[in-house]
Amino acid sequence: MTDFAALREELKPECEAIIAQYEQPRSALLPLVHLFQSHEGYASADALRAVSEMLDLSLAVVESTVSFYTLFYRKPVGKYMLQVCRGLACTLNGAEDVMAYFREQLGIGHLETTEDGLFSYEEVECLAACDRATCMQVNLNFVYDLTPKMIDGMLAAMRTGKHEIAPLPQTQAPPRTWTLRQDLQVSHGEKSAGAQDQSEPNNPGGLDRDGIIMVDRILSDEMRFKGRTKERLANVEPAMAEAIEE
Amino acid sequence: MPVVKVLTQGIGEADLRDIKVYRDRGGYKQLKRAFTEMKPADVQAMADKSGLRGRGGAGFPTGKKWSFLPPDIRPRYLVCNCDEAEPGTFKDRMLLEETPHQVIEGILLGAYGIESHHAFIYIRGEFKRGYEIFMEALAQARKAGFVGKNLFGSGFDLELTVHRGAGAYICGEETALLNSLEGKRGEPRLKPPFPAVQGLYSKPTVVNNVESLAYLIPILEHGPEWFAAVGTERSKGYKVVSISGHVQKPGNYEVPLGTPVRELLEIAGGLRPGRKLMAIQPGGGSSACIFEEQLDLPYDYESLQKAGSMLGSGAMVVMDDTTDFVRAAFNLVRFFAHESCGQCTPCREGGHWLERVLHRFLENRGLKSDIDMLARVSHEITGINLCPLGDSIEPFLASVLKRFPEQFEARVARETVRA
Repeated sequence: MTDFAALREELKPECEAIIAQYEQPRSALLPLVHLFQSHEGYASADALRAVSEMLDLSLAVVESTVSFYTLFYRKPVGKYMLQVCRGLACTLNGAEDVMAYFREQLGIGHLETTEDGLFSYEEVECLAACDRATCMQVNLNFVYDLTPKMIDGMLAAMRTGKHEIAPLPQTQAPPRTWTLRQDLQVSHGEKSAGAQDQSEPNNPGGLDRDGIIMVDRILSDEMRFKGRTKERLANVEPAMAEAIEE
Repeated sequence: MPVVKVLTQGIGEADLRDIKVYRDRGGYKQLKRAFTEMKPADVQAMADKSGLRGRGGAGFPTGKKWSFLPPDIRPRYLVCNCDEAEPGTFKDRMLLEETPHQVIEGILLGAYGIESHHAFIYIRGEFKRGYEIFMEALAQARKAGFVGKNLFGSGFDLELTVHRGAGAYICGEETALLNSLEGKRGEPRLKPPFPAVQGLYSKPTVVNNVESLAYLIPILEHGPEWFAAVGTERSKGYKVVSISGHVQKPGNYEVPLGTPVRELLEIAGGLRPGRKLMAIQPGGGSSACIFEEQLDLPYDYESLQKAGSMLGSGAMVVMDDTTDFVRAAFNLVRFFAHESCGQCTPCREGGHWLERVLHRFLENRGLKSDIDMLARVSHEITGINLCPLGDSIEPFLASVLKRFPEQFEARVARETVRA
């Protein structure tokens, strides 16, 4: 039995209990994906297929639904998912400095994972903790009143595995940091960015709403779309960004 | 100082997550009373008479919402909306985490009031801790016999199911929430039919905010007259206001509706020393700003509406003279662009392009002609979408464009594209 088959067997009673809570089985879609993600660290292709079988839905329906929600990571992510609030109240209290500090300390940008697979980093919308701005979530646990010193201590503790917040399970090594070169490979047909079975390369969680498709368009003649990915291009491939800007 | 403790009673003093502590303080008494001494119609009449209006954003009278349920179609569902994600709002998260039993009791009362035998609570996906706390509290309540079959010997069965969201602001909109609860993408539905007629599984459904349902408990305890005696003519009772931004003591404060904005500002510790007030967003990210000369406005639904803004979810974000309003406008427009579900073209495309134009301003590459264009486009997006998300872009943007045009002009590089 494969690892996933064993997991599915183990979770079977729990899945059945979840489905039984609802008058219509499809309502269990989100809770089931949450359940598998809590064991696998991300919503794997196997998990989505299993959910589609349990609920008697087509795989396309499950994937379409799952892709709507930002908390379902469709690609393996780091052991610590760092989600920094970029809401208005946090921004008024210096969130942009905090985000710049994280980027500098981690060496990665929005929606990227560090080479060692330890950290994924995302800038997220208002987390409803505005009275404790600036705030963030680590694996969905709140961390409040961020300061550079605190961030240093937190990252150091996570690197040595001594932080109080438990790391996420990691059944698959997360993909390396996404680069423009990998975008190019995708757009030239080498890898399919949306395919569930890709182990690499990809961006964490498959959350990037703009980049992958947009790069295709930049590379074609639709120059009017160029602004969207400019920021990211500037981070990873300054020469390319400049060329497009011309 | 008009700060009161109704829903916020005991928070920070006692461990209200423990059912024993909650019951010692009078918890679940009203639930028992409702099930043993009152008919569902009595609960509904009390909600109606109290003048309670929805605390989630729209401010629709709760009793009236219930009265839209067709009398002859069963089952009915009650859904508690705890998908709090409006920028600046953090009251529901506090209630969920600090007084989960109060939330449970409110939901059960509401469900009894509309004769629903299956209630749901939709908890925002990010509130993982709140979800765990609530599950623990629910297990305690179930053990005590407050959830399940034949409650208090009344013959009334009532089940409560907890449903976790997975990251989507739009699921706070009631029809999007119902779709999400049905295991679908969180896309709002065309209204009518309203959820009261065709909601969850196409059955009559009431969706109420956490705070609205929780207020049912004190309304039952002290009577609807007690609640209706507080506030203004059309805004009755109390409200938990989330105050944040450039204030010294940000937090949740429970006050009577109609409290002047100036007093709210004082309650939250006022501005930092030496700072000057520039703007207040009084009702979450979707509301237009009010300014210094409007500080004496009573904080209630109709006064704010008359002033061109709204009370919304009751989130006050205060901005002093260090605020870059171009950045603030970009921030909120980006939020709505990011959270658009993409069904309606004006919201999906309009939000996205406004974000890009504002980004141009941030880089000091704005065009003079953009300033008018921002106002025009945001206005044209409004009122032509399935849900209010697209309409939420205009108020803040238009109010700061009008008030602080110089901040936008300072970032203009050219007159027009061709100039």
